[in-house]
Amino acid sequence: MVGLSLGEQHFVKGGIAQDLRTDGRKRLTYRPIYVETGVIPQANGSARVKIGGTDVIASVKAEIGRPSSLQPDKGKVAVFIDCSPTAEPTFGGRGGEELSSELALALQRCLLGGKSGAGAGINLSSLLIKEGKVCWDLYIDGLVISSDGNLLDALGAAIKAALTNTAIPKVNVSAEVADDEQPEIDISDEEYLQFDTSSVPVIVTLTKVGTHYIVDATAEEESQMSSAVSISVNRAGHICGLTKRGGSGLDPSVILDMISVAKHVTENLMSKLDSEISAAEASEDES
Amino acid sequence: MAAKPGAATPTYSPKLVGSSRLPIFKDSDLDWSRPDGRGFHQCRPALLQTGAVSSASGSAYAEFGNTKVIVSVFGPRESKKAMVFSDVGRLNCNVSYTTFASPTIGQGTDHKEYSSMLHKALEGVIMMETFPKTTVDVFALVLESGGSDLSVVISCASLALADAGIMMYDLITAVSVSCIGKSLMIDPVTEEEGCEDGSFMMTCMPSRYEITQLTVTGEWTTPNINEAMQLCLDACSKLGEIMRDCLKQAASASEE
Repeated sequence: MVGLSLGEQHFVKGGIAQDLRTDGRKRLTYRPIYVETGVIPQANGSARVKIGGTDVIASVKAEIGRPSSLQPDKGKVAVFIDCSPTAEPTFGGRGGEELSSELALALQRCLLGGKSGAGAGINLSSLLIKEGKVCWDLYIDGLVISSDGNLLDALGAAIKAALTNTAIPKVNVSAEVADDEQPEIDISDEEYLQFDTSSVPVIVTLTKVGTHYIVDATAEEESQMSSAVSISVNRAGHICGLTKRGGSGLDPSVILDMISVAKHVTENLMSKLDSEISAAEASEDES
Repeated sequence: MAAKPGAATPTYSPKLVGSSRLPIFKDSDLDWSRPDGRGFHQCRPALLQTGAVSSASGSAYAEFGNTKVIVSVFGPRESKKAMVFSDVGRLNCNVSYTTFASPTIGQGTDHKEYSSMLHKALEGVIMMETFPKTTVDVFALVLESGGSDLSVVISCASLALADAGIMMYDLITAVSVSCIGKSLMIDPVTEEEGCEDGSFMMTCMPSRYEITQLTVTGEWTTPNINEAMQLCLDACSKLGEIMRDCLKQAASASEE
């Protein structure tokens, strides 16, 4: 990323203080979001989301697996993020590994909720086929193609869209067997179950620049940030995950204020995203 | 390394100050009794010692109930030749578990990211400009995992850094709160963490009253988050006092 001169830094910070950012947006306005689903035919579900210059693809693949011995009544979900070198030359080789693992951790936290499964966006019990023996393993992969700030929000939106697009084949357990054997399963080719995504949360990242917060920061605004808080809010208005990034400390009242701002922003974002996703699904069905 | 006989181990249990609101949970809702018999807002007794590892620049040992952690700090020492010149110092963190740390064999999947989380917690508080071109290595070893492992590791690491003489803006302390049903319990043990509905881990600088790292999982309502934050801030400032006492004792002991 090209560094900013002192004058440009002042321009960015001053604009944010006056509620007029460099691209003309207000502090709490998102860039136009473009959603396309079904971009990867071999995956069970996929979506591509573009927020301004940030372009990400998410894909969901379901495979038959064994539930873990610690939680025999739940399926498993694994989230991997790959920051491609096409986004930034520094991502090549091992450079993007730290950012990828940080993003994957934040997304996993938002989607899977507490250890007991409360507040989870994905209901792990719905992935179970036969307790202790057979379950679905969901592999959610995110690929960052182009990065212009706000990767976490874009990935969250892409995963939500991909899960809406996901169709898991119906499985019939064909024969009852003894406890220590794997049961035979019959994976149907024609019948599919749509995933229930009503409780998948959206992620809103609030970036603090100076004394104000902005939503959906571009890469140059992110370079001026002191800290960022990513809050994921679900449809019920409860907070499903919160991650604070950035080294500088924040007063507790600021964090509580950010939470209320995030809730307010989420209402608009959730409805906008839902309409974009259903439009994308509808156009995919037609083509 | 033994504690002075006759000194009671201090604890950093917080008090909910100025709660003009009714508490969120009434006594009739309490259907969870903590395995070690503590109250919901009671923390485990905190044992902290510095100078545990004599060969390191600084080190600290922390024992919070059954969670035992030892952290050693090496540095500032020369960066490897392959690394690019940088006019601020570098921080390298590593958190590892011994094989006998938890009842189940192996590390468990949650713990791989503890190294990067420790790095994020410490990078905001260490004055990196004071040691350019060099690296400070922080190695944390969890000897026994009894719950709230990352919080104990972070607090112990900041004590070890202070013992090593690395310049920091403030000591950092970390406390975690678990939410089970409607009840919030501070400083959870492993059993409580295994069935929690949500976890809230906060790292703060007690003297500056600033939060440097906050990680929330599970579903939380805003009043719950408010309460958890108040509990953590109060507990963090008390833990900060305990850490300062520990450093003063170590300094006065070395003067004798």
